[in-house]
Amino acid sequence: MGVSSMAAASDGMQLQLCVFDLRRGQQEGQELDKILFFYPTDFPFLTQLSLVGLCEGIITFTRIFSPEAACEVIEAEKHSHVFYEAEPDIWMVLVVEKSKDDGQVWRCEALRGVLKEVHSLFKMFHMSIHALLDKKPSGELARSHLHSFITDYLSDYQLGKKMQMPSFRDSLKERGTVQMLTVSREVALEVQSLITSISSCCNGCDSLILFQDLLVSTTLPPDDTANLFSYATLRLTPHALSSSTSSWSYLRKGHATPNLLNVATLDEHQSRSRDTSQGQNCQISSIPRFLQRDKWSKGKDGFLVPNFPSGEVGSFVLSTPVVWNQQNDDCKYLCVYQHKGITVVMLVPASSLANGEQGLVQVKNKFLENVAQRVTAVEQKLSRGWGGENAYHVSGYRYLLIDRDRSVSRATPAGKVTTLKKESLVYLNKLREEVDIEKGRWRRDNPHQEKELEVSIRAENNAWVIAKVIRGKELCMVLEKANETLLYATDAVEKFSNRYCEGAFSMEY
Amino acid sequence: MMQTRAGSSRSDALSHAYIQNPPIRCNIPETRGLFYDDGNKLLLSPTADQVLSWKVGVPSQNNPPNSDLTGEGPVLSIRYSLDQKAIAIQRSIHEVEFRNRETGLTFSRKCKQDSERILGFFWTDCPTCDIVLVKTSGIELLLYDPEQNSLHVVETKKLSVNWYVYTHESRMLLLASGMQCTVFSGYQFSAAAGIVRLPKFEMSMTKSEANSKPVLSSDDVHIVTVYGRIYCLQFDRVGMHLNVYRFYRDAVVEQGSIPAYSIRVAISTVDNVILSHQLDAKVVMLYDLFLDSLNPISAPLPLLLKGSSGSNSRSISEVSDSISSAYEGMIYSDNWNFLVPDLICDVENGLVWKICLDVEAISASSSDIPSILQFLQCRRSDPAMIKALCLAITRTLILERRPISVIARAMDVLVASYSNFLRSGSTPPATQNTGNDQSTAGSGVASEHAITGTATKSIIGDSSSGMSMHSPSTSDDEMNPEESEKLGDKSLESSVSQLLASHDTSVATSPDEMYLFVFALVEDEMSGDPAYLVSVIVEFLRSASREKLKMNPDIYLMMNQLLARSNQHANIALFVSNKIIEPSKEVAMQLVDFGQQNYKIRKLGMDMLRQLSLHHDYVSVLLQDGYYLEALRCARKYKVITVQPALFLEAAMASNNALHLAAVMRFFSDFAPSFKTTLDYGRYQQVLSELS
Repeated sequence: MGVSSMAAASDGMQLQLCVFDLRRGQQEGQELDKILFFYPTDFPFLTQLSLVGLCEGIITFTRIFSPEAACEVIEAEKHSHVFYEAEPDIWMVLVVEKSKDDGQVWRCEALRGVLKEVHSLFKMFHMSIHALLDKKPSGELARSHLHSFITDYLSDYQLGKKMQMPSFRDSLKERGTVQMLTVSREVALEVQSLITSISSCCNGCDSLILFQDLLVSTTLPPDDTANLFSYATLRLTPHALSSSTSSWSYLRKGHATPNLLNVATLDEHQSRSRDTSQGQNCQISSIPRFLQRDKWSKGKDGFLVPNFPSGEVGSFVLSTPVVWNQQNDDCKYLCVYQHKGITVVMLVPASSLANGEQGLVQVKNKFLENVAQRVTAVEQKLSRGWGGENAYHVSGYRYLLIDRDRSVSRATPAGKVTTLKKESLVYLNKLREEVDIEKGRWRRDNPHQEKELEVSIRAENNAWVIAKVIRGKELCMVLEKANETLLYATDAVEKFSNRYCEGAFSMEY
Repeated sequence: MMQTRAGSSRSDALSHAYIQNPPIRCNIPETRGLFYDDGNKLLLSPTADQVLSWKVGVPSQNNPPNSDLTGEGPVLSIRYSLDQKAIAIQRSIHEVEFRNRETGLTFSRKCKQDSERILGFFWTDCPTCDIVLVKTSGIELLLYDPEQNSLHVVETKKLSVNWYVYTHESRMLLLASGMQCTVFSGYQFSAAAGIVRLPKFEMSMTKSEANSKPVLSSDDVHIVTVYGRIYCLQFDRVGMHLNVYRFYRDAVVEQGSIPAYSIRVAISTVDNVILSHQLDAKVVMLYDLFLDSLNPISAPLPLLLKGSSGSNSRSISEVSDSISSAYEGMIYSDNWNFLVPDLICDVENGLVWKICLDVEAISASSSDIPSILQFLQCRRSDPAMIKALCLAITRTLILERRPISVIARAMDVLVASYSNFLRSGSTPPATQNTGNDQSTAGSGVASEHAITGTATKSIIGDSSSGMSMHSPSTSDDEMNPEESEKLGDKSLESSVSQLLASHDTSVATSPDEMYLFVFALVEDEMSGDPAYLVSVIVEFLRSASREKLKMNPDIYLMMNQLLARSNQHANIALFVSNKIIEPSKEVAMQLVDFGQQNYKIRKLGMDMLRQLSLHHDYVSVLLQDGYYLEALRCARKYKVITVQPALFLEAAMASNNALHLAAVMRFFSDFAPSFKTTLDYGRYQQVLSELS
């Protein structure tokens, strides 16, 4: 176990991820101070420095022409470097190897999505990197938090010895969006009323209601919703709780989870290599690791029990996870209730509890007394109306539908995507890459004017690969074994649009 | 606290029921006694050779009595026939005299002097007989022929009778027999179902001591008609409680008992509320059997004497102040006679009082607002006032920021009541117009019509049409079918059931009225907490959606406004996408309008316009935003010709793209034949040539 994980790290030429701060280490000889995180952790410092140096150089250079949006990607012969400026001057770079092995076809935007996701989750649990750096200018706080957090996050991508990043096979998915359950108006009203009663019994808390791995309702703004939704589907939903594999990638089957012991040794390794002061160890081990697997279990009362070592975040001593809102610096307890398929994620404002975590017990009791029964009732209604895993499958179509305005997406269920031929997905991946580039161009031209785009490609394997972008909504589609005329393809899109998208993608000519 | 309550507190003393001043005065000298003919609602006072009659319910001041000749002789009881063509006068325990009012002809029906006595008689509207004579040896059903002024016996039923009770309201006759007078035979004489015979049943009496068996008196048995159901309340003097029985077509079911705190108890019903007068304790207790609860509505409080209702109550009560002050001590005096359903006859002073409920006082006395609303929604007297009261209570509920769970129950009650009102067969008020019509009425609710009178039709065994009120609560819904199954769905209904079904005026509050008189008014007053009001509206919509009621877009406009004001744009998107906010042109245009601040919201509005196929508006909005090519495509597809070409051309020119401008020009030249003759054509032709 430990060996395999270490081996993955040492033979990890295939993937590097680093986080660095351009403002730090400006003096010669202190360059190492720039680096806040590097994966693999045991990479030689010299190699780390050379990568960061290259990236910094490129960023500085490209900023001359485009101060707002500097470098996005370096495509070298053997590697792709994907850049993401997570916070001002704090950059994340993901380096992936281009191998002859044809499994390795990526889309830059998808990889950037990984960086975005890990950063926003990090920010949700630990505040921004800037905030941590401000708290301890030496950087050790930020480093230790980033280290445990990103390591745990990456463990989800580990497939045997390799890291499996999102590839062309995932091109009918969109990271960072929310998948919603469609409910009837009557149920929607019922859910909304439930949300009100949750809020009134839990000190005006915000809440998120999921059914299986789908969002039903939320009181949070879209970005917070998206973050909490990804966390919930990763670690909280019944599906996430029951499976040891990642909930979002069907590619990963039965991989082993790095156990705590192993990670602890990595911690020690890292902290020793960085900083020889002894006091560090205890602090690092006391960082709550919210992304570690198997840390949540279902309690008898229906609440999920967190099992995180209590550590210090801000002035709160906690074992219940605390999250930070994106908008304001409110700190909130994460409180999760589950009944069969339904998961209620509550964010109880810490400021509303007189005696900190003890107050949570009262909130939970109040919830059990007043709301739990209604949750059960709503769960019944939802499960009665639910079409199962393949509810949103549309036969003959393999699709991805994204509403950028609401950060919502819907796609063909994963199981049905696997029936597609590899070529179709590779084409789609390529097409989406092109669409990404085009959209980037629009953004630079005029961020306020929304444009339209429609591409239909006839692939070699007699499939139509279609992308359509209309005013903030995107549709990607693969039609295999399809008639060869373009008319057929547009007709198919038109039908789909009318039936499932309320005509959003219908031709208007 | 509550506005309505302040205006109506006429008396400082607390009470839930009062008798209304002025009474009907029947104290004319030389009259001998006072009779109440409940079939015709007449107060009858015989003199030496004639009878004076007062109609009850008619404004009583200066209400001169009618008179009829009756001839000489004693009057034991007297009743007009239901068509008022004849008068029946019981002259002795063996003789009833019939007098044709037109011809003045009389004749008598006598019974066997030695073996039987006449206990009484009453007229009925049942199809097979006109008059029922109750004798100690049984009952005689008779047909009366006014032309001949004669009687024909239809049927005689032999049984021994100690005494009987009958109310015209219920059409129920209960005949007591047995040693203790606790064995009852019951008949209902209804216009619709004819004569229905109830199974014999026995009322229970608590034994006081060994071997002493109390005898039930006719004063202690009260037939009560509420919500179209017929009950019987039997006062058990030893047990000090009243047993409650409910009559079904083929069964009599004991419902339980209510306590008594006085050795003399009288029963009235006012607006389907049962009043149990504890005569010695001089208090009255109120019961509402709508949900089959035998718990009193409120604490025992005295019966008060109050002046006439209305704004000028002060002056009137001052005028009749002398009576009031003099009479106040006489409340529950020994010479009070309680008449069915809600009258009190003071035989000694020749006064007849009507009992009224003070619903405002009742509603103010409880903190359980949803139950109070439920209670009020079941009241049928003065619907306009009660409706206004319900609306005021609901407003207060919201303004006081009560917990949403309470509000939700209140909304359920109001909505279910309206839904029942619709289901009971009336046409809903025109949804489109009410908004404008009623806004002129201000905050008060205009009452369209007075209460319709009691129709004299009895429906037996058809509870689906007769019972207009169904309980709104689910628990009761589950209970009712069970009950009716058990009893074969044959609950006995009386003549008043239709009162509930009188549709012209109702307490039920329509969604439009809820919007106008609750939400719109409340919104003005509580600007601080839009989220709370949104939650309240959601609860209302939830209730309404459960009852499948249609909503006016106004309420959605308000919701959007509230959400936008509290910056909950994400919630607007959520509510629009899951149709909590139902799509309509008004909502769509509002969203487009909000889009000045938030473009995503504007797009929601545009999507809604597109989905509603409001192509003209959709094209116009697209043009406003400069999406002239999209607008052009849409205009072509849906043949929108109502948008001026100039708007497209302007938008195209603003984009500074000569190619596009030319394309737009070309489009209109090809598809709008007259375009080439317009000024626009020339103007933009010019512009084009300058650009190229």
